Order: sequence, then structure tokens, then C-alpha cells
Amino acid sequence: MATVQVSEAEKLYVLHGVRDDLRVDGRGCEDYRHVEVETDVVSNTDGSAKVSLGHTNVLVGVKAEIGKPKPMVPDEGYLEFFVDCSANATPEFEGRGGEGLGIELSNTLVKVFSNKHCLDLKSLCISPGENCWVLYVDVLLLQCDGNLFDAISMAIKAALFNTKIPKVHICEDEDGGKEIELSDDPYDCVRVNVENIPCIVTLCKIGHRHVVDATLQEKACSVASLLISVTHTGMVTCVRKVGGGSLDPESIFEMTETGKRVGKALHAPLMELLQKEESLGSKRQKVGFLG
Amino acid sequence: MPVDRRRIRGPDESQSPYHFISKESQKCLASGDRRSDDSQRGPLDIRPIFARCGLNSQAKGSAYIEAGNTKIICSVYGPRETERKDETDMKSGRLVADMRFAPFACHKRGAWVQGNEEKDLSLGLLESLRPGVCLHKYPRSQIDVCVMVLESDGPALSHAVTCASLALADAGIEMYDMVLGCTVRHTGTTQLLDPTFSEVQDDQDGVFVENQGSVTLSLMPNMNQVSGLQSDGVMEQESLKAAVQACIEGCYKLYPVIQHTLLKTVRKNAPPSEN
Amino acid sequence: MVKRYAATCTHVGNQNIMAEGFKTADPLEYHKSFLKENCRPDGRELDEFRTTTLNIGPISTAEGSALVKIGNTTVMCGIKAELAVPPSDTPDKGYIVPNVDMPPLCASKVRSGPPEEQAQAASQFIADIIETSEIIRKEDLCIEKEKLCWVLYCDIMCLDYDGNLLDTCIVALLAALKNTQLPKVTINKETDLPEVDLLKKCSISVNRHPVGSSFAVFDNTITIVDPTADEESLATAVMTLVIDEEGRLCSLHKPGGTALSGEKLQDCMGRAVTRHREISKLVDKILESIKK
Repeated sequence: MATVQVSEAEKLYVLHGVRDDLRVDGRGCEDYRHVEVETDVVSNTDGSAKVSLGHTNVLVGVKAEIGKPKPMVPDEGYLEFFVDCSANATPEFEGRGGEGLGIELSNTLVKVFSNKHCLDLKSLCISPGENCWVLYVDVLLLQCDGNLFDAISMAIKAALFNTKIPKVHICEDEDGGKEIELSDDPYDCVRVNVENIPCIVTLCKIGHRHVVDATLQEKACSVASLLISVTHTGMVTCVRKVGGGSLDPESIFEMTETGKRVGKALHAPLMELLQKEESLGSKRQKVGFLG
Repeated sequence: MPVDRRRIRGPDESQSPYHFISKESQKCLASGDRRSDDSQRGPLDIRPIFARCGLNSQAKGSAYIEAGNTKIICSVYGPRETERKDETDMKSGRLVADMRFAPFACHKRGAWVQGNEEKDLSLGLLESLRPGVCLHKYPRSQIDVCVMVLESDGPALSHAVTCASLALADAGIEMYDMVLGCTVRHTGTTQLLDPTFSEVQDDQDGVFVENQGSVTLSLMPNMNQVSGLQSDGVMEQESLKAAVQACIEGCYKLYPVIQHTLLKTVRKNAPPSEN
Repeated sequence: MVKRYAATCTHVGNQNIMAEGFKTADPLEYHKSFLKENCRPDGRELDEFRTTTLNIGPISTAEGSALVKIGNTTVMCGIKAELAVPPSDTPDKGYIVPNVDMPPLCASKVRSGPPEEQAQAASQFIADIIETSEIIRKEDLCIEKEKLCWVLYCDIMCLDYDGNLLDTCIVALLAALKNTQLPKVTINKETDLPEVDLLKKCSISVNRHPVGSSFAVFDNTITIVDPTADEESLATAVMTLVIDEEGRLCSLHKPGGTALSGEKLQDCMGRAVTRHREISKLVDKILESIKK
């Protein structure tokens, strides 16, 4: 992962700040940095979103393609995640440098989404055992300044909200062969219900306390972090300890509690923002990448 | 698709016979006190564990663990010269974990090439073990931990963690503490410790159960520190907390068995006393 | 008295350290000094195999499995059966796909990644034996002509490598195949899909029983049987003979190395035939014991 080197004095400064609930950039322990979300930023995808969280910038594109359902669940579609760590984000990712992190991120996303609760996979089915929609979720890291998981999960939720899957119907010809017909009307499309899609909250243990949305500098001072994915009802879909250190059981309980509280509160403003943007329609002023 | 010329290839497509089984022959989850694997254990008992050290003649240390039908073997090589010289931090050693499933380990045949799931488990294993190993004692060197799951019946990661830490101890690698792994399956209201494969199956006849999931935890028992935590499914925070606690208790139940195994190994390897 | 005992102890200890040093400094000379006396560093005679142990059916997720140990060398073979369409050129036959793998845990020299040369060569060797000596009749694996057949994936994994991989693999494969039970499969006439009945299982008939014996040659003159990893790396040539139950030669594998006289080869043949008897007896004994 992208890292920065922190001297002992800096570490102590960050540590003391966190102890007094005042972080280097003036935030409290449970505050996020400034978040910006913009949907529909890439026109050749079926849904896309760009999220910037402080200096962390991610772009998510969703492509819907027709595929064959998995043999064990013939009446469901599925999601595929791919995380591309571009060398734009940090020079460390040059060549195959970002591959390891990319795999880690995409595997975590698979875990976060691998339950029946967050997405109705049955709605992605076209004809059982034969055809289903496969949503390819491609994540591109544009800039890294810590807390990639949270930014990515918000961007995925926004991109899936924005995703328009064209409507199809199956017609049968005389020989009993099936054919998939795409609707002619481009506005005739299905939306994905994103209500239950979780957001990830990463909590970094610094000293005796934990902070949300850590910058790279803060991350370098932390021994271990816990990422928790929480739905809008406060259900936890995935927990993972990341980093080389260990945590005592008591702080795990505290951290899951904070994670649940912060994560739950994250959903409402995000959804409100997305709906507002949607209602503006074509009148919306596009900010794009240079804004 | 590039052709794999290094292996003998079979037909392009083949399907597991388990896709075509009638529903009757599949076992259902046992309710109440009885567990599905026909043993007498209650919901909060771990499976009886058989553990041995020092089976591999080539490795610095090795261990084998058998819990029910789950069978895991682990070898530790090193400390040896590190392969990657570009690492910025040469003051401490590098721990490398590689976890694989044998192709015949699960009901569905696995591929020889390490898949994404195995890579994810390797990472989970590494992050669970790293806090326990005194890596600063091994500058400029690398310690390789190779885990092979020979048969998997239930979540393999927790047993792999225990097995790997036994192998590390057998190799004489300095550690702060043993690392023990435990998994709890939470279904609705009940908790099942150390679940079997049939007990972790998500859906029972397609019925969606609220508040169900698995938690895998690694614990360093003497320091009372959690070195690894992973969960999936959908759970309330309260259930998660209870599951974490159950895992910790499970690890403490496991600890005497592991201690005994280590002691036995040390006694066996010790030179006979002179009088 | 006690003092004298302690003195002998240190003496023996010193000798051990000397021997270790000799082994590290000049391993070839070390081995040769043993061979001169007609014995080997681990105390074996020249024509003695290491203890062979066998465990049949340890893996319940596989249709058939076996764990074989020859000395330290440990190999596990698991057989998974899957369903496929028969090959178009031979519509009445199934597939057998053997693969030998040496994962990084079996020896310190192995790195993770694709199989190395030795494993690739072993895979091909095993595949050739299956093909040429017809251990299993491929026709037996056909369920319905042109429609459905079994694919037997014979995955052989080395868990501990201390020489003589090929012999161990062959015993493991043979024992696992004898342990294999396939469920009954019928094709549903209406849906045209196969139906699997797990409750009715039957074994597959093992047609021939090849057993391998490996030899290592030192300086054209001395041949030793069942070489360890050290012996394999020091020998001037290695050779594997595969013999079936009627004493016929199925395969001879001698990848280069120094020459070997016909006489010596005859001696080796003789040893291989007795080895076959030993192994068949062992396999039968274990199979008998698990039936009870």
C-alpha cells in the first residue's frame, strides 16, 4: 500500500493530538474529511461515479453484460470486481507494484458483497440457468491519501445507483430456440436497488483511541486498523483486521460500535445527495475531473 | 486463453457430479444441541483436534492438524536470505505466507493455480501471524510459511493459523506468543463453534435468514490480543460482539491441546538426559 | 565411573560433529566411503528400500485417495471425478488426467509458481504409464457414448521430498485408484441432464498393477535402490523401472547419465520384480484392513 515515512517526533505529535480528540487537520476522531460525489462521469459505462475524500480520489465504472449464471445459483446474476491501481495515484504502483493492493481491495469487496442482503441478485437474472446480467465493477484509483476502502465503497454505491441496465425480453422462435431482444428505447431501463448496499468504515487504532478516515500520515502511526462494512440499518456485512499489529478484544468492541454508528450515519446524506443530483437531470452542471 | 503446457490437460469443460444431486441426499443443519457431523459435541464445543509437529523432514519446522475432516499441513522454511532486495525496511525480517487448497480438498475440484480466494486467505493468514512473530530478530531475512489444506470441512483459515503457528514454534522462530484461530457461525439466534462445511452453507432451501454470518478470529492467548479478525454474512453489531467473544473462548479451549502438542515435541527432540 | 561415561559421551558427540562436517565439506566422498563398505549413510543395504507405509482413503472429499510414505518422502494422491462430453475422436472413452505437483512446502528449493521441471517430468511419466499400460480401461469411464463420460483427475501432491518421487507417486496412484468409488449416473430422458445417485457407488476395475523401482548409479559400478534426495543429487545416473504383476516391463526411464551394463540392468530387473511383490502385498493388506 502507498505509505509515507513518519519520524518519531511526528508520530508523537499525531498521537497526542488524537488523545485530545484534535487531529492534525483540525478534525475530531469521528469526522470524515470533505467528501465530493459526482455520478455519470464516464459516458461509455452503464453507471459511473467519482468520489473524492480529502486528497483520495477514486473513479468507479459499472458495465452490465450478459453472461451465464454460476452453476450453483442458476437464478441469480453476479458482480465482478476489479481494482486498478494506476501509477497516477502513486509512483509505487508503477509496473506490477499495485497488483497486490488491487487484489486485496477486490477480494475485500467480494467479501463485503457476498451475501444475499445487500443486493438482490435475483433481479439480475434474465432466464434461469442460461442468461443473467453480470455487473463488472471497475475501480480506478486516481489519487491515494489514505482510507481507500471507504472512498471506494461510497463510489460503488453511487455508481450502482447511477447504473441503468437496458431492459430485455426473451422471445421464442418457431424451433423453440430462445433469443434475447434488447429494448429499442434507451430510456427503457432497469435500476439497481442500492438501499442495502453497505459502506465501509475504516478505523485506525492510534494510541489508545481510534480514528475514522485516516490520512496516510495517520495511518503510518497506527499499528492496526479494522474495517467494518455497515448498511443503512446498521447491519454489519464484513469485518476485517488489516495491518501488521494486533488489537485487544475491548478495543475491537469499541471500534465495531463506533464503526456501526459512523457507518449508519453515512448513508442518509449520501442517498440524499444522489437523489438530488438525479432529480436535476440534464440541468445539472457537470464538474468533471478538473473541477 | 494461453495453454498451460506445464501440466497435463483434461477436457476443456467438465462439471462436478455434485451439481446433479437430488436435494434429498443433502444434509440439513442440525438444530438444538446436536451437530450435523454426528458427533456428541454441543454448539459451543470445538471438534477434537489432533496435532503433531515435525513431520516434514526437509523443513525447518512443520505441523499437521486434523479437526474432524479438516486436514491441514504446514511447513516453515527459513530464516533464509530474502528474495526481494528492494524492501526499504531491512531492519526487520519478512514473513511470507502461502496458503493453498489441494485440488481434491473440497467437494468441487479446485484448480492447481492459486485462485483469488487462496490469495485472500494467504493474506489473512499473514496478517494473523505477523503480530506474533518477533520479526525484528531476523533482519535481512525471510521466513516462509507454506500451508496446504488437504481436506476442507468448514472454514479452513482458523485451523491454518493454529497449524502455522505450531510450525513456526517447531522451527524455533522466536515468537511473542502462539497464535490460535477459531471460527464461529452465527445463525439467527444460535452460535456454532468450529462449524463444519454443511453448517456454513448459506441458504437452507433458499430461505434467507436474517442475522447470519461467520466470524474468524486469531488470538494470542497469553497477551490477550486479537491478531486477526474476519467476518462475512449479515449480522447485527450485538451478535458480532457475542460471536467475537465466543471465538475468544473457543481459542482458550484450544490452547491446552496446542500446548500439550508443543511440549511433547520438545520432549521428543530434547537430547536424552545424561543420568 | 560417571566421569568416564561422560567422557565417552563427548567422544561420540565429537564424532557426530566430525561426520556432519565431513558430509557438508565433501558429500560425494562421504557417501562413497559408506558405499565402499556396502552400506549407506542411513544404515541401509545397497538393495534395501526404505520403510514404505500406506494409508488408503484418508480424504473423504475425494472419490479415491491414498497417502504413501517411502522413508521421508510423502506423497498424497486424490482422485476427483467430474462429468464431461467424451472426446470427439474416441466417443466411447473417458478421460484420465494425472498431474504431479511439488508445492513449495515439500522442499526448501521449490519456490511457488508453476510446476518446476521435475514435477512436469513426473506428470508426463505418470501419464505415459497410464496411457501405455492401461491401468484403467478408458472405455469403462464412458457413461453414454458421445454424450457423457467420467473425467478422473488424479492429482498427486508431494508433501515431503526426500528422493524417489516416481516410485512413491506410482504406489499412491495405484492405491488411490483401487480406492476410487464412482456414484451411479443415469441420463434423464426428459431433461437430457445427468442424474447422480450418491447412495449407489461402485469401484472401478484396475486392469494392471504397475509398480516402480528406482535406482541410482555411482561411477558405473555401484547401483543402489530407492535413493534419497542427497543420493539422487550425487549419483551419476538415475533410473526407474516399472514392472507389472506378471513381471513384464512397462516402462524404463533413464534420463541420461552414465552408461549402465546389460548385466547390471538385469540385476535391477530382478530387484524390481521382488519389489512388485512387496508392494502388492502391502496394498492388498491395507485394502483388506479398511474393508473390515
